[in-house]
Amino acid sequence: MSHLVVDGVRLVYDQSAGGEDFLALDNVNFEIGDGEFVTIVGPSGCGKSTLLMLIAALLRPSAGSIRLNGREALSPGWDRALVFQDFALLPWRTVLKNVELGLELKGLAAAERQEIASRHLAMVGLRAFERHFPHQLSGGMRQRVGIARALSVEPEILLMDEPFGALDAQIRQVMGSELLRIWERDRKTILFVTHDIDEAIYLADRVIVMSASPGRVVREIKIALERPRRLEIRNRPEFTAYREEIWNLLEEQVRSSGSWEEAGDAAARGD
Amino acid sequence: MTLLRAETRRTARPRRHASLARLERPVIGMLAVAAFLLAWQIVGSQEIIRSDLISYPSQIAATFFEMSRSGELGSNVGVTLIEFVEGFVPACVFGIAAGLALALNRRLRYLVAPLFAALYSAPMIAFVPVIVVWFGVGRDSKIAMVFLAGVIPIIINTATGVNEVSEAWIRAVRAFGAKRRQIIVKAILPGAFPAVMAGIRLGVGRAIVSLVAAEMYVSILGIGRLIQVYSNSGSAAPIFVLVVIISSFGLICVNALRVLEQRLAPWRGGG
Repeated sequence: MSHLVVDGVRLVYDQSAGGEDFLALDNVNFEIGDGEFVTIVGPSGCGKSTLLMLIAALLRPSAGSIRLNGREALSPGWDRALVFQDFALLPWRTVLKNVELGLELKGLAAAERQEIASRHLAMVGLRAFERHFPHQLSGGMRQRVGIARALSVEPEILLMDEPFGALDAQIRQVMGSELLRIWERDRKTILFVTHDIDEAIYLADRVIVMSASPGRVVREIKIALERPRRLEIRNRPEFTAYREEIWNLLEEQVRSSGSWEEAGDAAARGD
Repeated sequence: MTLLRAETRRTARPRRHASLARLERPVIGMLAVAAFLLAWQIVGSQEIIRSDLISYPSQIAATFFEMSRSGELGSNVGVTLIEFVEGFVPACVFGIAAGLALALNRRLRYLVAPLFAALYSAPMIAFVPVIVVWFGVGRDSKIAMVFLAGVIPIIINTATGVNEVSEAWIRAVRAFGAKRRQIIVKAILPGAFPAVMAGIRLGVGRAIVSLVAAEMYVSILGIGRLIQVYSNSGSAAPIFVLVVIISSFGLICVNALRVLEQRLAPWRGGG
């Protein structure tokens, strides 16, 4: 049985204040199995982040439905946890208290919250930084806090919105490998949005390629690379072939949509 | 931004000089005050300028002890302090609540924003006659003045602070399924806290000014009343005593608030 089902999802931004309605997503369909690691790539502005917000139920689709374990996702909840590109940590809370946030909202007692949060911070290698504030950490460390916070509520699915997009290239690679290490351990279902083609292939069991605006699923590509993966895998001919396939799809999308420069930039960062 | 500032500060000066550098500012400030007092003492006591007009520090100190010994200072300052607290504490409570309500309710904001903007720039002293008609000659009028003068900047700053709370913080809390009340408690209020404190600091200054002015018009007790009494005494010294007391009170309030803010919001200090 599929775990997450995205069925005919359409999103129209209502520009009632003046201007035309904007069609962000049109008839998006895909499914994700339990424990699968799926990445979504697409040109800038294709609505891939919007799609995550819909799955998190921070937005409502204009048509279609999103079901998790057979139930429609109508409001945000602990069964889906988000990791954001801007980290979205609360600056007035210590690292430990930031990780406790979701557990507080879940209604757990203080002692239990602290124990769970500590355990997840240890998992991302930040045990020693529990009492620090976010502004005292580097970008990569902040996002580890973001990941610990999301995992601490034990969600059914982890939704990651360009989580390493704000980090520099080396840190991004390290974080990708770290994420894989954590994932190999508990095989949490992950849906990961990125515009970095290499990152998308390296992490995923399956890559979903989206079209330029309005966003649609253009192709789903199964990544048949063995796990656990190491960074060197990027030099393998199979990897290069995937890269070429995705790059060609994106180039086509971008050319046909006319927003060549903007999206070309985004795709080029995948090289 | 705070991060950037903290880092430039750290790199600008080697660590071991940090404590010396921290003393630089207060030391220079105190030297300036000492030089000023000395010059004043000489000019006044040597009658270079008539001392009944400008008085001088040692005379002011002597007058202070005289007025304290007679008990008139203690009783009047006590009255002013109590009136201040009785007016300002409700101003804080009501101001924060009203500011929050205004920020969260667009129509309410449209309704009262022009009114508050007008009130903010109006001198509260002008309201004294009306307040006296409403509350009579006595304590109630003065407490009302403190409330009125203090509450406006608190409302305006709270509302501004709430509106400027980062969308990311709200998103983080909302993603875990927080209800409206939880969003307010966990993201909006702590996020707006620095702005609220700035409003309270502004309010303290305005409330003190208005209270003393009100006492000068309608009172039989209080610092303002004493200023009124001594304005015909033919000596500047008692007036200076009272002015120093008022400014010290303002300084103590503002610094106490700053310490409180650093305690409650260490994340803003950049340390």
